[in-house]
Amino acid sequence: MTIPSFHLFVQTLILGVLVGGVYALMASGLTLIFGVMRVINVAHGAFLILGAYITYVLFQNFQIDPIASILITIPIFFVIGWLLQRYMLSRIANPEQTSVLVTFALALVMEGLLGIIFQTTARSVTPSYTSAALMFATYRFPVTRLMGFGIALLIILLLYLILQYTNLGRAIRATTQDPRAAQLMGINTSMISAFTFALGVATAAAGGALLSIIYSFNPSSQSDWIARTLSIIVLGGLGSIPGALIAALILGVMEQMTAIVVTLYWSPIVFYFFLFITLIIRPQGLMGEIIREKG
Amino acid sequence: MKSNVLKLMIRLAIVSLLITACGGATATQAPAATEAPAVTEAPVAATEAPAEAPIRIGASLPLTGDFSDPGTAAERGYQLWADVVNQSGGLLGRQVELVIYDNASNPDTAVADYERLITQDKVDLVVGPFSSKLVIPTSEVAAKYGYAFPEPAGGAEHVFDRGLTNIFFCQPAPSSEQSIPFAQFILGLPEDSRPKTFAVITGDDPFSISVVDSTAKLLTDGGLTMVLREVYPADTKDFSSLAAKVADLNPDLIVGGTQFEDSVGQIKAYQQAGYQPRGAMFTTGPSLPKEFDEALGTATEGVFAPISWFEESTIETNPEFVQAYHAMYGSDPIAEDSANAFTVGQVLQQAVENTQSLDNAVLIDEMHKATFTTVVGPLSFDDVGRPKGSFMVLQWQNGKIVIVGPDYAKQADPIWPKPNW
Repeated sequence: MTIPSFHLFVQTLILGVLVGGVYALMASGLTLIFGVMRVINVAHGAFLILGAYITYVLFQNFQIDPIASILITIPIFFVIGWLLQRYMLSRIANPEQTSVLVTFALALVMEGLLGIIFQTTARSVTPSYTSAALMFATYRFPVTRLMGFGIALLIILLLYLILQYTNLGRAIRATTQDPRAAQLMGINTSMISAFTFALGVATAAAGGALLSIIYSFNPSSQSDWIARTLSIIVLGGLGSIPGALIAALILGVMEQMTAIVVTLYWSPIVFYFFLFITLIIRPQGLMGEIIREKG
Repeated sequence: MKSNVLKLMIRLAIVSLLITACGGATATQAPAATEAPAVTEAPVAATEAPAEAPIRIGASLPLTGDFSDPGTAAERGYQLWADVVNQSGGLLGRQVELVIYDNASNPDTAVADYERLITQDKVDLVVGPFSSKLVIPTSEVAAKYGYAFPEPAGGAEHVFDRGLTNIFFCQPAPSSEQSIPFAQFILGLPEDSRPKTFAVITGDDPFSISVVDSTAKLLTDGGLTMVLREVYPADTKDFSSLAAKVADLNPDLIVGGTQFEDSVGQIKAYQQAGYQPRGAMFTTGPSLPKEFDEALGTATEGVFAPISWFEESTIETNPEFVQAYHAMYGSDPIAEDSANAFTVGQVLQQAVENTQSLDNAVLIDEMHKATFTTVVGPLSFDDVGRPKGSFMVLQWQNGKIVIVGPDYAKQADPIWPKPNW
């Protein structure tokens, strides 16, 4: 145990909040899909890594900035998500249970294919600003993390606005609350499901692009990321985007703080300990609602 | 049409479920040994006199996972050695065939691979994997069956302190002695430019820890103060908080215990944290001439690393090795690990030729007694397989590796202090 200096404490807090924002974006799609469809998309981590690889290819071969490439990857992922839901998940009987198996299989298939194409060497995308940092007072804000944080907040805000203020968003929320009633009100719930799934997968395109400039990755990294994003949405409350945001910030700050106060080894332990305690006190997570099983 | 799509989907789903069922237990970790494919079974060279079966030599290498870069480099070294031997008439007049499995950098898989090589594939000889973490458990398998275990990259103290006599570490010096030339350079700097403080930041790996801890001892004995020693999990990807901690203490010298990926991760994080040491040394990473440069560009300038071998060396057999390597793999600079694997081949070859035997007990005996001509210089071993030579120290200058010490191998003067990264 070391007690950090005030300066180091604040600096670490900054790093934790910045990385937490990126975690939030990565987890937002997962929690959105669960909220509407009660489906855990276990392939979400694999989609993040796929997004990272596409960003890598666009950067290496066409010199497209990883942030700009989001504009290309989001529509592609949206279409992939849509097709996947319409032609695969929607055809599964009893999707709330079996979808975990199917999306897990999808994750393994994607990991295998990425492994064949890209091998297992760790990659990262390194635009010119990789090592740059902005200074405020004596505190340093790494440019990649600052951009990641900004973009993550922007996309989460956009998601929130869509859900709150558009008819589509109202239809999604209605489907979340009670699919049968929503259907009776004339909402095409199967279309809403496809749209939500597509939207969730599309956020992974953005999350993957940010991942690629901040971390190194290889195909098997997908399992790290699905574990981390799942923990976030469980802590935040399944289905809640604001919950995911808060949980992601907690995870980010705790990870970084533990690393400087104790050691990096303790980071995951401290977080999971916090997760267990939370679940004992509030089984539905920080912002989650208790889901009633409907007969 | 629609029913076709449906059938396809059902098939896909069944396949997916099957894959889930098979892969569930191991998830995304290393594939279980039994399903690890033989990645590079060398084709049996067609000989004019096919009467005698080839000599089969087995190895398990980390071709994927954390050690995949150096592991792949080692594979190239083995493969090149086998090809060179086969082109010049083979070993004892027989062709050499390599049987190589991928252990995904996982010690358990590596152990299972050597069990399989020895008991099922019944290979005549085995050679070691990459790095101490895998050498420590696998050498015990080889010892159990009485196999000689020459290996290219496993020099941690724990490799030698278990009383095994079948290990031969084919680099010039064990890990604990590899950074002596670097420490001597630091301690030999004039008083006013010599660093006063240093930090040790190392991955949890027996090789890395062995090198950095021995470096730390030499530096501390020489009057420097260690302000921080941090050990991080081997798969760490985010070094930002660690870098913030180092930047806060601002030591003059950073000693990193790294494989490849984490050396890059550490340096990037130090750049972002604004930490500018006067000197930096990393164990593995800077020794990979192509990958290190690609990952870091100008930030490589002035970085030190201990090294066992360099491409321009005129030591006996090295120019031939370098030429053969480029003929086979192209013009990219050669990684040290390829040379170390090639060295293993040379030691094995000379032991077999000296004794005209494939009996592992005879070979073990010979390896303890003889001095071998290798690309890293004359090599001989003590009774637990520690090599008796010494390492060199490299520095990155103008985007290239140069040897800056000791004097007998020196290509250029060291740059001190290093430029900002």
